[in-house]
Amino acid sequence: MRVDRLVLEDFRNYEREEIDLSGGLNLVVGRNAQGKTNLLEAVYCIGGFGSPRGPDATLVREGAERALVHADVTRGERTVHVDLEYRPGRGMRALLNGTAVPGVRALRELTAAVFFGPDELSLIKGSPDGRRRFLDELVVKLRPARDTIKREWDRVLKQRNALLRSAPRGGGPGRSARETLVVWDEAFCKTGAELAAARLEVLAALTPYAAKRYEEVAGGGRLELSYQASWMDGSTGADVESLREALAAALDEVRTRELERGVSLIGPQRDDVAVNLSSAGYQQSLLDARAYASQGDQRTCALALKLGEHDLLTDALGDHPILLLDDVFSELDPARRAWLADAIRGIGQSLVSSAEPGAIESAGAARIIRIEAGRAAAGEPGDG
Amino acid sequence: MAMLYAGPIQDLIDELARMPGIGPKSAQRVAFYLLQASTEDAKRLAHAIVEAKDKVRFCERCFNVSDQDLCEYCRSTRRDPTIICVVQDPPDIVAIERTREYQGLYHVLQGALSPIEGIGPEDLRVAELLKRLRTPEDGSPAVAEVIVATNPNIDGDATAMYLARLISPLGVLVTRLASGMPVGGDLEYADEVTLGRAIEGRRRLEG
Ligand SMILES: [Zn+2]
Repeated sequence: MRVDRLVLEDFRNYEREEIDLSGGLNLVVGRNAQGKTNLLEAVYCIGGFGSPRGPDATLVREGAERALVHADVTRGERTVHVDLEYRPGRGMRALLNGTAVPGVRALRELTAAVFFGPDELSLIKGSPDGRRRFLDELVVKLRPARDTIKREWDRVLKQRNALLRSAPRGGGPGRSARETLVVWDEAFCKTGAELAAARLEVLAALTPYAAKRYEEVAGGGRLELSYQASWMDGSTGADVESLREALAAALDEVRTRELERGVSLIGPQRDDVAVNLSSAGYQQSLLDARAYASQGDQRTCALALKLGEHDLLTDALGDHPILLLDDVFSELDPARRAWLADAIRGIGQSLVSSAEPGAIESAGAARIIRIEAGRAAAGEPGDG
Repeated sequence: MAMLYAGPIQDLIDELARMPGIGPKSAQRVAFYLLQASTEDAKRLAHAIVEAKDKVRFCERCFNVSDQDLCEYCRSTRRDPTIICVVQDPPDIVAIERTREYQGLYHVLQGALSPIEGIGPEDLRVAELLKRLRTPEDGSPAVAEVIVATNPNIDGDATAMYLARLISPLGVLVTRLASGMPVGGDLEYADEVTLGRAIEGRRRLEG
């Protein structure tokens, strides 16, 4: 899949700009704060997951009423014209070939993109929230119809927490609160188990791809990913029914405390993904990369996760997702730069931004896009 | 930043903004539309609101909208009094009637369980439903089946489960509309064919 032509209107610092993209490697160069990241962000938005950098309202250029992204998107034999409109307070509106589509599912069915920027280090060293979001998004990228799982879970969690909060403190809840808590517990276990099962399935699918990428970029060593949930143990099955039973049993243990505290204390909203490493020299001992790995190793891990995501999507969707690498090369040592430049060759469309074009000279770009103050100039490699 | 207008205009905007599905911007649009409409148009609308409020009330038995003590379904002798279909709101009855698959009576809960909005069983017409099941009207046979047709979303499902737990011990069969309904949707907006099939294929709900 690829974006052939992109028109940005009042999008971040772009007033109106048309950009033709190559189906291969697009090198986006320019000094800092000229709009390189914004261009990659626009392409990511076409995938229907919102901005990877924060609330969509910030996409609108200062002083403008709305931001527009127009794109010709090719998936297999089919080319679709996509129009996105962002209005602060009104969210996003999408048209496919001129017809309004409700929600974002149609966009997610059309394309998938993988974004990797300097902030992605937080995927490893940040809070569990970022790792859960990574998994939950990947679930939907693989199977767009599964977006209901997370939506339903979010609703149940909010409802159950509201009920726990409203239950009278100290003496336990009133009769009607206790009666309805039973049904919210049931919904909690059902939707929570569905979400956990989807996450476990995706994590199991991702792990070999990420481990392979880690080995390549680190030149050895081992990366292991595992799901961490206080309510599961080694014997818990990965199917929905086993997970539902495990969740229900764990809930029975903590319910009294939950009523005292007025909040759900266990469940998928508190789970995490453990990222463990063993470096080439120390095969025996695994290291928790979230807490103990060096910044360089954490970056390598994050890169392995994202490239692993790209590989998994390629196999699962039968087509390369669009790869967006924002200012990644400058953070890597020369050996890893060379490896990455090699790895992104021939894996479909990619947009790679850099403030120092020299850093990725060897990448073999099909197109170089120079960005200056929200204006783009395209050229073939070797021009100017 | 909220824009403020002179007294009466702002009052009108504020009143409109309290209505379901109308945000501040829509309220402003409707308010200015009304201000530009003719005085007769405005009066006709005001009259219609007052008239509806005066004449329409809720059926004493099932809480459907009605212009008499009992609604048209509760008054009818041709409906099957042994089946009650439980819905969240009166428009759901209109949707089910359109299918012509259902000949029983109704019960309107006037909402669904939602702790976020502070809606518990005591805020719904649950006690009234249990009373109908426990003590049938004079001369009426006992209710044999309750079809729970709350919306096919999280809140509607939780409400259905809650009702099943209360009703099953009374020896009344509790069923839920079959799947095929759009998940997360509103019953009111389901198309007739889908809703008709869902009524036919309803399944037993364990309490
Ligand atoms: Zn009635």
